[in-house]
Amino acid sequence: MDGTGLPLSRRQVASLLAGGATLAAAGAHAQARGTVTFIGWSAAVDQVRAHITAFERATGIRVNYENFPWAQFRTALVTRLVGNAPIDVSWVSDAWLPEFAEAGWLADINDIPDLMRYNAEAAAYCTQSMTYRGRQYGLAYYGDHMSFMVNTDILRRAGISAPPTTWDEVIEQSLRIKQQNISEFPLLLSLAADTWLIEFVSALTFSFGGRFVDDAGAAVMQDANRGAVRAAAFLRDAIHRHRVLSPGAVETGEINGLRAFGTGAHAFAIVPTYRIRALNDPSQSPAAGNIRIALMPRGGPQGTNETCGWIRFYGMTPGAKNDRARRANAVRFMEFFGGRDTEGNYSLQRLLLTDLGLPFCTTPLASDPAVQEFWTRWAGGGEVIAQQSALARKKDVISPWFGEWVETSNQVWQAVCLNRAEPAAAMQTAATRWTALQRAFR
Amino acid sequence: MSRWFGYDQRSAAILVFPVVAVLLAVAAFPILYSFWISLHDIVLTRPLRRPFVWFENYGRVFEDPRFWVAVWRTTVYTVVTVVVTTILAVLVALLLNETFPGQRVLSALLLLPWATPSVVNGLMWKWIYDPNYGLLNGLLLQAGLIERYRVWLGDPDLTLLLVANAATWKQMPLAALLLIVTMKAIPDDLYRAAKVDGATVFQRFVHITLPALRPGLMLVLVYETMLSIRHFDLFLIMTQGGPDDATFVMSWLVYVETFRSLRFGTGAAMAYILAMATFLLSWAFIRFLGKRL
Amino acid sequence: MALRSGPPLAPRIGRGLLLALFSALFVLYVAGPVGWLVSSSLQTEAQITAVPPNWLPPDPTFANFEAIFTAADREVTYETRRQGDPATGGFLPSGAANLLPSLWNSLTVGLWVAVLNLLLSLTAAYAIAVIDFRGRRSVLYTVLATRVIPDIALVVPLFLVVRNLGLINSLGALVVTYLAVTVPFTIFILISYFEGIPRDLYRAARIDGCGHWGALRHVYLPLSLPALVASLTFAFLTSWNEFVFALVLTQNVAAQTLPIVISGFIMDFTTSFSFVNAAGVIAIVPPVLMAIVFQRYIVSGLTAGAVKG
Repeated sequence: MDGTGLPLSRRQVASLLAGGATLAAAGAHAQARGTVTFIGWSAAVDQVRAHITAFERATGIRVNYENFPWAQFRTALVTRLVGNAPIDVSWVSDAWLPEFAEAGWLADINDIPDLMRYNAEAAAYCTQSMTYRGRQYGLAYYGDHMSFMVNTDILRRAGISAPPTTWDEVIEQSLRIKQQNISEFPLLLSLAADTWLIEFVSALTFSFGGRFVDDAGAAVMQDANRGAVRAAAFLRDAIHRHRVLSPGAVETGEINGLRAFGTGAHAFAIVPTYRIRALNDPSQSPAAGNIRIALMPRGGPQGTNETCGWIRFYGMTPGAKNDRARRANAVRFMEFFGGRDTEGNYSLQRLLLTDLGLPFCTTPLASDPAVQEFWTRWAGGGEVIAQQSALARKKDVISPWFGEWVETSNQVWQAVCLNRAEPAAAMQTAATRWTALQRAFR
Repeated sequence: MSRWFGYDQRSAAILVFPVVAVLLAVAAFPILYSFWISLHDIVLTRPLRRPFVWFENYGRVFEDPRFWVAVWRTTVYTVVTVVVTTILAVLVALLLNETFPGQRVLSALLLLPWATPSVVNGLMWKWIYDPNYGLLNGLLLQAGLIERYRVWLGDPDLTLLLVANAATWKQMPLAALLLIVTMKAIPDDLYRAAKVDGATVFQRFVHITLPALRPGLMLVLVYETMLSIRHFDLFLIMTQGGPDDATFVMSWLVYVETFRSLRFGTGAAMAYILAMATFLLSWAFIRFLGKRL
Repeated sequence: MALRSGPPLAPRIGRGLLLALFSALFVLYVAGPVGWLVSSSLQTEAQITAVPPNWLPPDPTFANFEAIFTAADREVTYETRRQGDPATGGFLPSGAANLLPSLWNSLTVGLWVAVLNLLLSLTAAYAIAVIDFRGRRSVLYTVLATRVIPDIALVVPLFLVVRNLGLINSLGALVVTYLAVTVPFTIFILISYFEGIPRDLYRAARIDGCGHWGALRHVYLPLSLPALVASLTFAFLTSWNEFVFALVLTQNVAAQTLPIVISGFIMDFTTSFSFVNAAGVIAIVPPVLMAIVFQRYIVSGLTAGAVKG
């Protein structure tokens, strides 16, 4: 059933068959009840739960919903997939698509018209991010990008009239703020080695006009003129030379970074755009009302305002797709959540935006007046966001060996921030690993 | 005579069989299976190709710089944990060996760390070391030893020692218990005679207590070493091998290779090397013990 | 060593002071961290995030525990949903709803392991300690040697085997695994204890016509109560606290044991600190209670003849 048949003795094969028969029986039992097993990470939990209640009422299909922390989600999901857990639908990050597709853990949906029809109403960027080798593997959950945010109150108190436009200006302004004792570490970055790190460093590298990998897939991160090395050097200097970024950043995960920024103790941060909803909400954050989004500062001689964008989507497992009843239920689930609900509304997408600020991939919603009002209310206007969104690139390291490579990448970036490695040498290590994995894959 | 021989042998076989069966199934067979897996190139993200590669995986492991980092980290960690645990255990044993009011209560308290689940142990110390709200920061700040809160687990120079501290806290009770028992076996007459001869407390400790403790100390050292090498839970909960590779111990390497990189072939090779190393170490210890006792 | 009039007073007071000092240090070291855990669990999130920290809860509350235990009962609809970002506070991971079921799993597995362990190690320890049979040494060394292998080395192949047998998420697989983990130590305890029981009693029983079963039942069993209790307790506690094998062999709510659910709490950064600490207290209470209740037996059972060299 799973195709990963390791060398087994006859006794094991017999047990496997017995076990398989049991599983099949259990599966048949599940069919009769109509259930969908859905795995997500610990975000939007109540929104998902509420939508599940609505789904169960509308369709009579029961949902088994489990969620795990995002920071360990990939490992948790992979362990379950490898352990043949009966998952039907799961949230997936665009970064894991090639890997999971190659491993046979995701089923393509090109032959499911009920789902494919939603592409007509989805942003092209999103649909492309869910496509690998010509086949599409899901419907979008949400899409977003890293934003550069400033605390306008601190800037005002420091006598700074406009937010910085380059990373050098960021350092300058930070030093001014620091000298006036307004904030000890004006720059906040979450550099813990968790699932977010690659997106933070990609945003930084892109803003330095750099890439990790060129269009042909060859590693260029080690090239001193391609931005990654400069971005790494910038981080190291920010921590150890200018001391405007706390050395504790390597232990700060994205969520703790969010909380810290929300206390109003920092002036500048790179944060996923959707967090602006929580940051400017007085019931959630002391710094409410003061956080504004500015264009990503440019870095180095070839700097751009580019940032890193991503999408997360709903993926279906082959186990679900190959079973008639499970497939029917899974398709209805994916449609209700990733497409329109049974009343024809993009209700979950709207809810995710208004409650949590999660931007959507569906084009009709963009003209919804409530959406415009949302960005005005929580971000002070949506123009900068729209501008930045147009300059968002997806991670260039997405590949079948992404999961393995990113461990090395995380480690070397941390080493640079801890001043235990030179930026050039660190990027070289990451590049060597990339090339080795690439070669091994062929 | 032969009847007894037959009866004894049969009875023993029956009595011992269940244990041996369970151990073979759960410990012996997996180790052999693990060796078999380590001879293949198995990557779960590439399920259809699993070629037999002889000892290539082992070569790859020995060439992997992370392997040597892990060996070094494990060595440092084990030495620190074992030494500190043993010293503390001796002190605690000395204390609890005395008779004084409240000694029974203290002895009951001794089991508290031992009963604590390792997961909770990790959680507890992680919270104590928290850079923003932790107890350690609070204590040191109020005692005037630091000027402001600082990062503890994120400091690559300190973090291995901090994890070792958490491990010591949990392991010390059992070691102390073993030592107390050994101490109780030392006859009082020796101490009395020494006192009459005018020996000081320190001299009594060095010349009577320590030599008598030798077998106990050896047992503690061996046991603690075996235990420390296998530690995993604390690293998963507290540091995940980081920051950078400051706590990248052998068991973490095996975990990352197997469950994150999904390279079961090399993961099995690493696990096998670790198992063999611990075997050799314990064999060496026992030979050494056998000579000293 | 009661204090009588005899030895001079000053050294007695000196000794008393020293003992008091070291006792205080000992108590602080052993109980301090746990005390801090308990104290934190009785505070609200706002109180916990105070700088400097509140050593004692200013206003002890069981709200954290209540939230955890009632998490499963909440039905979430559009109307009742929590609107804020989970990251900014008050977030209880979905693991909270799994806490009670996992307590039950841990209890079930623990009891099975304790009982089966006793059955297995009693018989084997008797055989090894009392019967002089061929292969006695090898069996003993093999049993002890299996504990030398690090758990993480066993986890990889065990996971594959259990997976291929379709037994992932079965409590039975956990029980068998834990048996293998705990049996060597309990056999060691029992053998040490049995060796302390006079051989004459055994010979008398055999002469009276008892076979080995009889000798075991009538001679060794009744005289080994402390060691039996120590073995039961040790097996239960080890299986309750075990983490690595449970992590890999159980993957869904129905089968997960308490340490796995707790680790989910800890590693989910969205969880508020107060909930994390409360979960820790929930996990620590049963084993600590057990250890305290059976402390006498544990000590005497573990240590009789433990260091005979």
